[in-house]
Amino acid sequence: MVLTLPHPGSLVAFAILGLVAGGFIALATVDGGTPALLSIGPYLGRVLAFSVIQALLSTLLSLVLGIGLALALARRRFPGRDVVLAILGTTMVMPTIVAVFAVFAVYGRSGWIAEGLAFLGWTEGFSIFGYPGILIAHVFLNGPFVARITLDGLNQVPAEHWRLAGALGFTPAQIFRHLDWPVLRAELPGVAGLIFLMCFKSFAIVLALGGGPSRSTLEVAIFEALKIDLDFGRVAWLALIQLAICLSMTALLHWAFTRPPVGHTIRSLVHRPDAKNGRLKVLDAVVLTVSALFIGPLAFSVLTGFRTLLAVIDADLLRAFVTSLTIASAAAILACLLAYALASAARRRRIVLRSPRMAAFYDILPDALLAVPPFALTAGLFLLIRRLGDPSTAGFILLPLINGLAAVPFAYRYVAPHLLTTEERYGRVAASLGLTGWSKLTIMDWPVLKKPLAAGFALAMALSFGDFGIIALFGGTELVTLPYLLYERLGAYRLDEASSIGLVIVLFAILLAHVSGRLSHAGD
Amino acid sequence: MFRRLLLTLATLGLTTLGLATGLAQAQTKPTLTVYTYGSFAGKYGPGKTVKERFEATCGCELAWVTAEDAGSLLGRLRLEGANTKADVVVGLDMNLMAEAKSLDLFSPHGVDGKDLALPITWTDSTFIPFDWGYYAFVYDANKLAHPPRSLKELVDDPNGPKVILQDPRTSAPGLGFLLWMQKVYGDQAGEAWGKLKPRIVTFTKGWSEAYGLFMKGEADMVMSYTTSPAYHVIAEKKDNYKAAAFSEGHYLHVELAGMTRTTKQPDLAKTFMTFILSEPFQSAMPEGNWMMPAKTPASGLPEAFKSLAQPDKALLFTPEEVQQNRRAFTDAWLNATAR
Repeated sequence: MVLTLPHPGSLVAFAILGLVAGGFIALATVDGGTPALLSIGPYLGRVLAFSVIQALLSTLLSLVLGIGLALALARRRFPGRDVVLAILGTTMVMPTIVAVFAVFAVYGRSGWIAEGLAFLGWTEGFSIFGYPGILIAHVFLNGPFVARITLDGLNQVPAEHWRLAGALGFTPAQIFRHLDWPVLRAELPGVAGLIFLMCFKSFAIVLALGGGPSRSTLEVAIFEALKIDLDFGRVAWLALIQLAICLSMTALLHWAFTRPPVGHTIRSLVHRPDAKNGRLKVLDAVVLTVSALFIGPLAFSVLTGFRTLLAVIDADLLRAFVTSLTIASAAAILACLLAYALASAARRRRIVLRSPRMAAFYDILPDALLAVPPFALTAGLFLLIRRLGDPSTAGFILLPLINGLAAVPFAYRYVAPHLLTTEERYGRVAASLGLTGWSKLTIMDWPVLKKPLAAGFALAMALSFGDFGIIALFGGTELVTLPYLLYERLGAYRLDEASSIGLVIVLFAILLAHVSGRLSHAGD
Repeated sequence: MFRRLLLTLATLGLTTLGLATGLAQAQTKPTLTVYTYGSFAGKYGPGKTVKERFEATCGCELAWVTAEDAGSLLGRLRLEGANTKADVVVGLDMNLMAEAKSLDLFSPHGVDGKDLALPITWTDSTFIPFDWGYYAFVYDANKLAHPPRSLKELVDDPNGPKVILQDPRTSAPGLGFLLWMQKVYGDQAGEAWGKLKPRIVTFTKGWSEAYGLFMKGEADMVMSYTTSPAYHVIAEKKDNYKAAAFSEGHYLHVELAGMTRTTKQPDLAKTFMTFILSEPFQSAMPEGNWMMPAKTPASGLPEAFKSLAQPDKALLFTPEEVQQNRRAFTDAWLNATAR
């Protein structure tokens, strides 16, 4: 038995677990006492049931829209396709308030649809509050993201498979069965888990569009306990409940859909043989039209900020832009490093050590980071930092850290599959050449990894760029990000300026998504 | 490619470091750190004016540190505890006062609280009010010709206007309206909520979402302040936004400032506390924070503030009553509305 250094991925996993556990313990024991177990009253029970149902429905609909759209986009080429892809990668990173206003601009009482109907003589009106509004917002935010991720996966199918399918004269159904389905099966648990978590935690959207306190999520209770009751033990306890529910859900997904092995050749973009099928042409036309009608107006409504765009460009805005950029870059670097470390540990467990259960642990860990309520983790970590040093610098550490941790699952989605692919393709060659550690990273992984890593980096950056989570607590005159500025202007009645700032955020996210898309779609 | 990436990473790292050290540079004058909420210190808030005017006389620097809103301020103070850098906190409110006191972070202000323009007499020795207003429903007179004249009329009329409210668990005006209902209806508040419920469009997370939705035409009225119309008159030259005056009286919103007991410069903090109730600070409140000044400045109020709805009666629970009953009130509200 030789004593070896633990894998860096294991160290990262331990560090993350330690950080989260430390935060929880600090939070639960802040008053020196042990936290009393909180009973889940009837209201909390109803909130939990509602959260689970709305998150499941949102996930399901997002998957239907996203997968349909991804298949249609994989089969079709048309002018402006690049722009569409960039927009798909953008909706998810919108600040929630921008998304809420977009939904109202289109579906609200004085929205475009209501006005169109009134023009046609229909003045009855309709209400989107409740499930319709929540689902519209969630599917708008997440469906396009599913499409993006799935499309990336579909592009991974090796060229040989396509040639073989062509040679064998596969029908579209056989193509779906043998080429597309394995990709979907591999992507599904991860993506579905992410969407479920995002929707389960959704807060401002559910409150604004839910129409009443029966439509609420656990995050509201956490928020209340943290900011109004100042009851940190309760915060820790509620956060644990949330963590438990989210983790069981992602674990279930990973268990239900195991990842199939990948092909052993290099992919390249091909023309799909099923593109010529008449029925699929009709289907794709319908899918693309429906998606365009659904996503288009909502995305377009964000552009109303153009009117006052020039008026908001001032020193404050530029400073906020630089601050956002700095924090987002730091967060994205952290997210990519952690995702790489975890993914390579998962790869080692799965392929070299043949222990898929441990590998699944590493696969689920990033999702756990998303399940931890950011407010609770921030508060807990702050209490730790407070003991160690100057609390006024805490914001500088916590903002990139928390944003980075929250982006790990997204970066992981890009990095992990590619890393597995490299090992399956070149692992044995590398082992026989004695490549390990740094040289394995630079020689074997890097060439395959640089594009997905850059794509993950761009997405992580965009996510952090639009985030208005913990900045609410730790923003300040020295730490003003764009979303913070947006809320500041809203608080001063400047609705127009707020929508322009929202537009700036979205435009930058589109740019990032475009870069990320170019990197992840290009052939090797 | 790999080397280029490393280089980029290094540059980014250095930028971050530079940003941090640049901020940490030592200053020669003493610095008074004042915590407040975001829009107070923002571009359109009174923060810049207050800073200029105070620095003109104090021989010090005033540094604003902000959290999003009053609740976040309190949460942050709770987290920082005795290690807080705050010398003074500006922007708590009466409904958070008892919780704020229980933090044991504030020291008596010693400022003379007489001759205030508040509708109540101020006796608290820990906090001083710096501005105030009444909660009120704001409506567009071009669209709603006959607003209800009392809370009872609003609640009882099944064909009455639709309203947007804020969630009392996450928002100050949301809690304000909950207390208002409680004050008017007492034990019958649950039934009243039930009657009003069909006309409540939604409860939003905060004031900003609610007001934004109202401006986008999602409801006839929105929970805000009697002073909101003054913004539209002065900044937008629009006089169609009004606050509906209710005959039962309106719930009072008082914003508070306090100095910490942990401050390293108690004299400077005390000077600022006195400055808060002086002309230079108070005259910045109406058009900076869109609230009534706690002490009417000698220059008087702007014209638009004089024509605002003037409630006959201020409704108010003591901070202690709020602290004791908030949970019960919120639960009753949940029972009545969350079905």
